[in-house]
Amino acid sequence: MKRLGLVGLLLVLAAFLMVPPAFAASTPQLIIGAIYVGSVNDYGYNRSFHDALTEVAKNLPGIKLLEAENVPESADAEPVMENMIQQGAKLIFPTSFGHQEPAFNVSKRHPAVYFYHAGGWMQSANFGNYFGNTQTAWYPMGVAAGKMTKSNKLGFVIGIPIGFAVGNVNAFELGARSVNPKVQTIVVVTGGWSDKAKEAAAANALVDQGCDVVAMHVDSPATVIQTVEARGAMSIGFQSIEARVLAPKGWITGLGFTWASFFTDVAKSVIAGTFKAQSVHQGLEKGGMVAVAPFGASVPTNVRKLVTDSVASVANGFNPFTGPITDNTGVVQIKAGESWGGDKMGDFSWYVDGVVGKVK
Amino acid sequence: MTTSLFVGVFAGAILSGTSLLYATLGETIVERGGIVNLGLEGVLLVGASVGFAVTVATKSAWLGVAAAAIGGGLTNLLFGWLVIVRKANQLASGLAIMFFGVGASALIGGPYVGAVIAGLPKWRPSFLAALSWVKPTTLFNYDILVWCVVPIAVLVWWILFQTRWGLALRAAGESPTAVFASGRNPAVFQLQGLLVGGVLGGLGGAHLSLSLTLTWAEGMTAGRGFIAIALVIFSKWHPIRAIAGALIFGGAEALQLQLQARGAEISPFLLDMIPYVLTLLVLLAWGGAGRLAAPASLGRTFYGSE
Repeated sequence: MKRLGLVGLLLVLAAFLMVPPAFAASTPQLIIGAIYVGSVNDYGYNRSFHDALTEVAKNLPGIKLLEAENVPESADAEPVMENMIQQGAKLIFPTSFGHQEPAFNVSKRHPAVYFYHAGGWMQSANFGNYFGNTQTAWYPMGVAAGKMTKSNKLGFVIGIPIGFAVGNVNAFELGARSVNPKVQTIVVVTGGWSDKAKEAAAANALVDQGCDVVAMHVDSPATVIQTVEARGAMSIGFQSIEARVLAPKGWITGLGFTWASFFTDVAKSVIAGTFKAQSVHQGLEKGGMVAVAPFGASVPTNVRKLVTDSVASVANGFNPFTGPITDNTGVVQIKAGESWGGDKMGDFSWYVDGVVGKVK
Repeated sequence: MTTSLFVGVFAGAILSGTSLLYATLGETIVERGGIVNLGLEGVLLVGASVGFAVTVATKSAWLGVAAAAIGGGLTNLLFGWLVIVRKANQLASGLAIMFFGVGASALIGGPYVGAVIAGLPKWRPSFLAALSWVKPTTLFNYDILVWCVVPIAVLVWWILFQTRWGLALRAAGESPTAVFASGRNPAVFQLQGLLVGGVLGGLGGAHLSLSLTLTWAEGMTAGRGFIAIALVIFSKWHPIRAIAGALIFGGAEALQLQLQARGAEISPFLLDMIPYVLTLLVLLAWGGAGRLAAPASLGRTFYGSE
């Protein structure tokens, strides 16, 4: 159903892309192409990449950006990238999970063009992958929520309970419990990453249940944050740290992706001719891929300090998923002395003790 | 302070049901004239996107609502031109209009994704706000589209069943030949019905983007247009029964989210099926009875005026 609209948009985009550059006087030293699955104005995932590339263009001289929005996660993405390459793009960032295979196909045809794909696993001499470790980063968010809540009930709206989203919820509850042993996190699943009306209803249901802090893992946090704000509850954002403008009263803090420093390094390596395709995963560490948003005005100094300390400890390697950890049915899932990290982050099929909800 | 399940579901039913009811009322008028518009989903999307775009551009949600109504009306007139003037197949044209709406709304709304709007102002009568069980909920704190939707349903009933125009429209839906023989052109009534129906569909879309979610996202109606078409059958083409239908379906959606928020030990995937299982049950219960209530010439192309 979405396809025809996208094809129409693509045609329009393609028409724009085929117009020759108006001022070819100063030749850029590197042309970077980026494709997004949605719009870059979503205060969410796509926006985070656009912001990062804008920063790269500011950091390095002579960078030219070619960006295409609403690029489908199918073979239709290939001509968009081919077109960018014809315009001289030497570095391409396919940013959605489903762009992986089309981008990999294009990379095989153009060995001298370099690719870095977000969230996948495929790799070759000119094709690398990267992503942010959000799970551990949700722990300090839980600390913030656990301190700010008065009802000891936190809400979490998630689109689909995939392992990564469940891991985010788990770290959130573990962080909240670390400062407030009575706190619960109630999960509501909407069944899709972008069903706005259900997101509004889910947020309302959580506030109805007495949740006074609501977090979310959906494509764009805008609807949940604004619904919660209108009900007079507080929110913790996700995907883009710019989302704070949506909740002038209830904003606590949030997590966003920050790719700028990684992208800058990659761009430099392409310019210097030292590009190396790797699999890069970073979290809250300085210059890493996940960053904490500024605090809202209502967050007191002592809470800010606790959260900042927690961010620092996670950045220095503290792993919240260190046993013993029991799930919410009483089964020990991570034994004492063991810990889950890296590849295991997508494997969560259970909620930690204190989370109200069922994965399956 | 927690609210009871009943209050939570009822409050949620009204919020989710409003856009459904507008869409259902619009489709009821159209189908009473003998036309099936499967493109309702597209009409809702056009309403939601045009309303949002105009609200961002003019900073006035009122102008946004007006633009959504016009956008919905024009989309339905385009459909009318296809199926009444050009006499194209109604089902195929409806699907074409649905795809057209998906694409056009993506194009219209694209530049406005992520824009922040104030939305339609909400108003709660002070004597209701004073009630302790109302205060912490969303109950009775509504924008004009919610407050007006039930009066509009009554108005639609009155127009369809108590006015000469309504009689002519229904006659066109039962037997266009008879209308034609009486010296009137059924196509005129059908086009007028489509215009009014499109305006109502546009308002339904506007409620989604300008009040409920305060955002525009591609395909944000998520199938509500099709649920509304099912609701027309559920309500047996009657605008007053449509109120109950919209509340029940809005309530089914709210129920599954409220149950999750209450920690019901049921799989979220099973809960997600509640509205659709309900649809199946209703169709089972209604069985062949629905057929009797359907306008006799529903979906048929009228060639008589040539």
